[in-house]
Amino acid sequence: MALAHQRTLPLLPAVSDLFVGGSLQRGLTVAVNGIGATSMALVLAAGPSRAGSWTALVGTEELGLGAVAEAGIALERLLVVGPVDASTNAGVVAALVGAVDVVLVGSGLRFRPADLRRLSARLRESGSVLIQIGSPQIGSGKAPGVDVGVRVMAAQWSGLGEGHGHLRSRKVEVRAQGRGAATRTRAVSLLLPGPNGAPQRPVAPVCPELPRPDVAESTGAAAVSPDVAAAAV
Amino acid sequence: MTVAVRTLPVRTLTVWCADWPVIALGCSLDEPVAVVYANRVVATSPTAREHGVVRGLRRRAAQGRCVELKVCERDLDREARTFEPVLAALDDVTPGVEVTRPGTCAFATRGPARYFGGEAALAELVLARTGEAIGELVADGPEGAPAGMVRVGIADGPFAALLAARSADPARADPITVVKPGHSPEFLAPMPITVLDRPELTVGSGPGPANRSESAKNSGPAKHSGLSDVLARLGLHTLGAFAALEAADVLARFGNEGMSAHRLAKGLDERSPKGRLPPPDWSVANEIDPPADRIDRVAFCARSLADELHQRLWTEGVECVRVAISAETEHGESMVRVWRHEGAFLAALTADRVRWQLDGWLSGRVGGSAARPTGGITRVVLAPQEVVAAGGRQLDFWGSSSANEIDRRAARVAARLQGQLGADAVRVPVYHGGRHHNEQLKLVPSADVELLSRSVAAVDSGASVGADGVAPWPGALPAPSPTRVLSAPCAVELFDADGAVVTVSGRGFLSAPPHSLTDNGRSSEVVAWAGPWLLDERWWDDERHCRQARFQLLTADGLARLVTLESGQWAVVAIWD
Repeated sequence: MALAHQRTLPLLPAVSDLFVGGSLQRGLTVAVNGIGATSMALVLAAGPSRAGSWTALVGTEELGLGAVAEAGIALERLLVVGPVDASTNAGVVAALVGAVDVVLVGSGLRFRPADLRRLSARLRESGSVLIQIGSPQIGSGKAPGVDVGVRVMAAQWSGLGEGHGHLRSRKVEVRAQGRGAATRTRAVSLLLPGPNGAPQRPVAPVCPELPRPDVAESTGAAAVSPDVAAAAV
Repeated sequence: MTVAVRTLPVRTLTVWCADWPVIALGCSLDEPVAVVYANRVVATSPTAREHGVVRGLRRRAAQGRCVELKVCERDLDREARTFEPVLAALDDVTPGVEVTRPGTCAFATRGPARYFGGEAALAELVLARTGEAIGELVADGPEGAPAGMVRVGIADGPFAALLAARSADPARADPITVVKPGHSPEFLAPMPITVLDRPELTVGSGPGPANRSESAKNSGPAKHSGLSDVLARLGLHTLGAFAALEAADVLARFGNEGMSAHRLAKGLDERSPKGRLPPPDWSVANEIDPPADRIDRVAFCARSLADELHQRLWTEGVECVRVAISAETEHGESMVRVWRHEGAFLAALTADRVRWQLDGWLSGRVGGSAARPTGGITRVVLAPQEVVAAGGRQLDFWGSSSANEIDRRAARVAARLQGQLGADAVRVPVYHGGRHHNEQLKLVPSADVELLSRSVAAVDSGASVGADGVAPWPGALPAPSPTRVLSAPCAVELFDADGAVVTVSGRGFLSAPPHSLTDNGRSSEVVAWAGPWLLDERWWDDERHCRQARFQLLTADGLARLVTLESGQWAVVAIWD
């Protein structure tokens, strides 16, 4: 008999609100779509990976490894499989599903519906999680073989100016909807990636705090222009 | 019952082919050649040695000593495969040839020496046969092997025999050293203590795939390396001085490892004969149906067979140091080879041996001395011939920990998929370093690294020196890294507000701010951009020279791209997805 927490995989705190119970149910199939789908899929895989699980990437020949590392996936527990051709991909993924906790599948990989059904049965039995990036055959959580659909939208980059700065972070809205307990849509806003590559919850914009008069007096009023001090009073 | 005061080791003949990695690659010995592995020279041709290129040098240092040096990567599979004809030539002399590693083999002389009329005659015969076989391999040596390349030594026990072979004078027409029975201790006494390191004795001398898997087990080539260092600092510079110590003292101070080294120094077998267990029939066999005529299918079966053998030996608490691998074809041809390993065989090492042996057989020439089988392989048998008590492994109190089991499961599936899809199909990232967005980490086949308990240096994210000593790369773009690295750069056009193509001058000045990006006829407005970040790399190397300007572009559709300008051509190389 497995305890409830043994049937789940931990998520990074930033994205834990997207899933029922704050963690990934073992045996789930998750489809991630939208601009930023790759980053989001990596973030979902990072939680279990940090906690000691292995991650396998299949059919993701174009994935940037730097982003994989920055998302928080443990590189020493990462297998990159492929390229695989259409005839063997279902077999390869099925082999990985029993042995690796999180299998990330690129958008280039297509499964036949029969393979997909067999795969989800195997997922439930072995307790691994399958994450599909930008899979065209799954638009919503109601597509066959997908338990939770995650959609990334309203991407807004910051840090890049007109000829200065560099890409720092991207604010996105993420919505997750699925079947069963996950029917209710859950949404979070997220910095994906955050300023150091790892995902973060956006902090509320900090109001410029005006110095209190007593502080200004004790530290020397010269630092505060007189009109600001007057306004504070 | 009489107890022999001292049991002499089995009288052994060792054939040693000098510079085997060079010959196996098909290089001529007259040109300066160095075989490197992991940036270190592991073997050199005699000409290269004259220039001062020695083992252990870095590639760049070796090239510095000899500018016309030809540098080749090491290929263990090929070394083993090309050694097969040499072994086949020795099969006529004696059936019991043991392969220690590609380039070195040994057999017990007792039977063949009597048959061929003495040890000296036997050594001559072996030398002639091996010379012929190697002469066929070396392109420019039709008259036989180059002088002094093959050396033969006969002594008591494989350790002394190998040292005898290595000490044979290559200048002579017949480089043979025969140490009289019982005289091995005197022969060994003046040898320097560093021969105990035995970098040549085990397969994967120098870091090879086999070696790396061994190092995880703390056995293997560098077995006595720490020991010889300590002994030298204690003032024991020769084997004789070490052998003169009391065995009990050595055991008390240096433990089992020291004890086995001490036995070797005294000219005895590494392990006491009492410790050798009589092997019952622990052999495992696998029928292959339909018959396999390709090496990858056989190798796949061999892998599971080796796992089975080691599981069986493990439950008996023993390890295998000598294994006989035999294969049969559908037409009844069979081939047996005995492999020895100075440490103990791991499953992966055994599987390697099967692949080497059968690869050599399957790719043999039809009319040559090593005849190729006419049918597919139907049966593979692994029979342990000599086992020793296992070194032992202390399990956790609650059995093996679950974390280890997770790791092992992943390693197993990696091996399985590699068997199915080929070695390059399963790869793992290693830290590489570089200024480009896709250079920080590189993928290598998982078989080439130790999958369990490895660590990958973190990618530096523009920060200071990381915890694991990885310094930042000046010129690399700061985090976040792009998530999609296009396998082939996608050519685009970048226009300024007036519709003219944006250019970057030789001094890195931009002609005008970019305004729109045209990708395959579709145009999108640039809302934010930064650059140019210039890169001028490896200007000394025509092939890898890279001079480009990098930009980050954000278009109105919210997609951020990494765009480069190289030789007047704009291209998208990566996308933040």
